[in-house]
Amino acid sequence: MEKGLTVRRIVIAGVLGAIAILLGVTRLGYIPVPTAAGNATILHIPAVIGGIMEGWGVGMIIGLIFGVSSFLNATVPLFKDPLVAILPRLFIGVTAYLTYVGLKNVNQYVAIGVAGFVGSMTNTLLVLGMAVIRGYMAAGVAATVAITSGLPEAIVSVIVTLAVVAAWKKLGTSGKQKSKISGDL
Amino acid sequence: MSAEFELTRNITIGQYLPTGSIIHRLDPRFKLAAFVILILAIAVCNTYIGNIFAIIMCVWLFQISKIPIHYGISGINPAIPFIIILAILQLLFYGGIANGGAVYFEYGFIKITSESIRLVLVSAMRFVEVIFLSSVLTLSTSTTELTHGMERLLGPLEKIKFPVHAFALIITIAIRFVPTFAMEMEKMMKAQASRGADFGTGEWWRIVQRTKDMFPIIIPLFNVALARAEDLILAMEARCYIPGAARTRFAHYKAAGKDYVAIVLSVVISAVMLGIPW
Repeated sequence: MEKGLTVRRIVIAGVLGAIAILLGVTRLGYIPVPTAAGNATILHIPAVIGGIMEGWGVGMIIGLIFGVSSFLNATVPLFKDPLVAILPRLFIGVTAYLTYVGLKNVNQYVAIGVAGFVGSMTNTLLVLGMAVIRGYMAAGVAATVAITSGLPEAIVSVIVTLAVVAAWKKLGTSGKQKSKISGDL
Repeated sequence: MSAEFELTRNITIGQYLPTGSIIHRLDPRFKLAAFVILILAIAVCNTYIGNIFAIIMCVWLFQISKIPIHYGISGINPAIPFIIILAILQLLFYGGIANGGAVYFEYGFIKITSESIRLVLVSAMRFVEVIFLSSVLTLSTSTTELTHGMERLLGPLEKIKFPVHAFALIITIAIRFVPTFAMEMEKMMKAQASRGADFGTGEWWRIVQRTKDMFPIIIPLFNVALARAEDLILAMEARCYIPGAARTRFAHYKAAGKDYVAIVLSVVISAVMLGIPW
């Protein structure tokens, strides 16, 4: 893989960031689950996909875009705190990338799926951990939220990540990836 | 029914209200810096008077930026039920954890202390303040100005090899593509609905069903997005775009007296907020 920000990485980060913003503002990225946190979300999936496809740097940037947009659009005081809304989101793509790299020699599909799960759990655990530290939630409430919305989020994340990345990987080597300069074949 | 498909209508990104006030005319670099200072102060401040003072300052900002305050209030309205539910939960369950403060009420595991009441009131006020502040910022600054301001503010990070220009470009691409993808998504939802798919008509407690309904939209959306990304990559490389190469700038900003005043004012306001002891 090339080092630094290539044209490919810049564009992919921008485009996936756009999806994160879009799913947030149209509220299509939220699954209504009746818990203290309001909703389960799938907004972290672009960060997971970006991390797997283009490395931890891209994952972190998409996480930042997701964090800032969730901070600006938040309807609950919890996410109007930048320490809860933005900081934990930076690590979604990073853990997903590390998991993927660690497992990809075992089996591509397993690696993508587990990375989707780990990325999603990173979001759940770090955000709720921060919420407890900042005093918005009691630890018991946070644990319930982690189960009632964290697990469905992780399952959806695995399905979408697998579908998208597996399709894209196939595109990547067989010529649908148009550019011949910045491809990482 | 058809209203469910009009995604573009909900998108308020880049909503800009040109009233030409002094806030609008501030240098975006300085405006953004002042905004960040105030947000940080709000995030840290947990006193009653400090937060009341911050709310008064936010209302004053609406006044001098000549933006009708209902723009800010409309951001709060949809959140009121969430605020109330969260406040009740915090009130009931947080008392056992917050150390110190007088205990007002205790029954079983429910314990209401002066600290838990403070937490509820302060987080509600904080919420209002952040909504007001970010409304003033986005309504008085165009997205182009915002990205330019951000790029300049992060400029010093270039010294430690942080790719500031690329970062600003990523943000620009992201904002540029939101309406495009909204239209694509609308098209896909209509295409799926014409084949008999249901969106948002299932009962809310059937969570699994509602989640499954999303897959035929979300997965094609990612594929369309990645296909568009391929086109854009090809177009940029065909025009010899090199990341990190030296570039000249189209927009030049020059700081004036009012910009320095804005920064000093925001520091003073933050200091007052954090300095008030109760």
